[in-house]
Amino acid sequence: MTYREPRTSEYEVIEVSFPGSVEFVVLARFTAATIGARAGFDLDEIDDLRLAVDELSVSFGPLDGETSLRFEFFRDGDTVSVRCTREPAPGAPGESPPERDVINWQQARELSEQLLEELVTVHGREIANGRSVAWLKKQREAGKA
Amino acid sequence: MTTVHAELSDRGPSPEKERAQRDELVTSHLGLAHQLARRFSNRGESHEDLVQVASLALVKAAERFDPDREIMFSTFAAAGIIGELKRHFRDRGWAVRAPRRLQELLLEIGSSADRLGQELGRTPKVSELAKAVGASEDDVLEALEAGQSYRTSSLDARDREGQSMAESLGSEDGGFGHVENHSVLSFAMEQLSPRDHSIVHMRFVEGLTQSEIAARLGVSQMQISRLLAESLRRLRVHFDMQDESAHH
Repeated sequence: MTYREPRTSEYEVIEVSFPGSVEFVVLARFTAATIGARAGFDLDEIDDLRLAVDELSVSFGPLDGETSLRFEFFRDGDTVSVRCTREPAPGAPGESPPERDVINWQQARELSEQLLEELVTVHGREIANGRSVAWLKKQREAGKA
Repeated sequence: MTTVHAELSDRGPSPEKERAQRDELVTSHLGLAHQLARRFSNRGESHEDLVQVASLALVKAAERFDPDREIMFSTFAAAGIIGELKRHFRDRGWAVRAPRRLQELLLEIGSSADRLGQELGRTPKVSELAKAVGASEDDVLEALEAGQSYRTSSLDARDREGQSMAESLGSEDGGFGHVENHSVLSFAMEQLSPRDHSIVHMRFVEGLTQSEIAARLGVSQMQISRLLAESLRRLRVHFDMQDESAHH
């Protein structure tokens, strides 16, 4: 886990990396909840963020322990952003392994996207530096300051 | 060898016939799934959830079963079901082994969250809860994470007005089924129990917050939080299992 010095008092970045197994996702959920609390999220918003982190963790396929996940959490005032990057396992070739591409997995991914629509302000997927990345941004609701 | 066994051994049955035979295999062994689920009861998981895990494992076993192998389906399925039940507990091991202080704190947080919510007229923040229960924010966050897996009260526990959550939800799917569009979400929700289906519907179709759902059902926000998280995990397992079987 890496903690970087904040750019301002309102800006923080935390990174967490772990093997892509379900038992480690609690680390990402806990970090998200901590950052959400610092952003002034209420319990509902923190729970939504935790569920959204679960969805990000399975964005690239079922967690099988064969890859690593790197989570980056950013807080900027009342907004929390999360990026989840799928990394090859240590010793594996540099490129991300291909994502599972079967009908059921496409459905699972579509389900995740529908859930994220409701849980966060905005979300997306992209390829960055040859790695698959899923990301989200959640802003505290107006009037909940 | 049972009739189903014998028929599955036949060379080249049609896909439809094969599917019907496997369905029959599952149906005739549901008792085994229930029996094995009972063996894992009293370990902090509801019997209903364990039956669901065991039943999904049974379906998976039927998909993988090779009748040419000299092994009874019941033996083959039992091994798969027990493995899946063990995996279910192992995957949730962190929370199951959480210390007693977290369990106690969780109970305090639950009652304080409800009281604070009424006083403030909104959902409380972590800092407000921490102050109310005299704990650090870290401890509150840790307890909330543990609460995802702990069962602080069962579905049928009576709330303050003496109404169980099951009664609040009504029967079957509460009439929601017909208003959903044919999205993956609505398809996936069919895999859930009526109770979980209703809660997921309220959150993701009606767009209610967890606190609003809790208020509607007369239970705590933390119960809704745990049930929602469990439902989404279950949906994921459902797709994962289908995915795995597609690879065999």
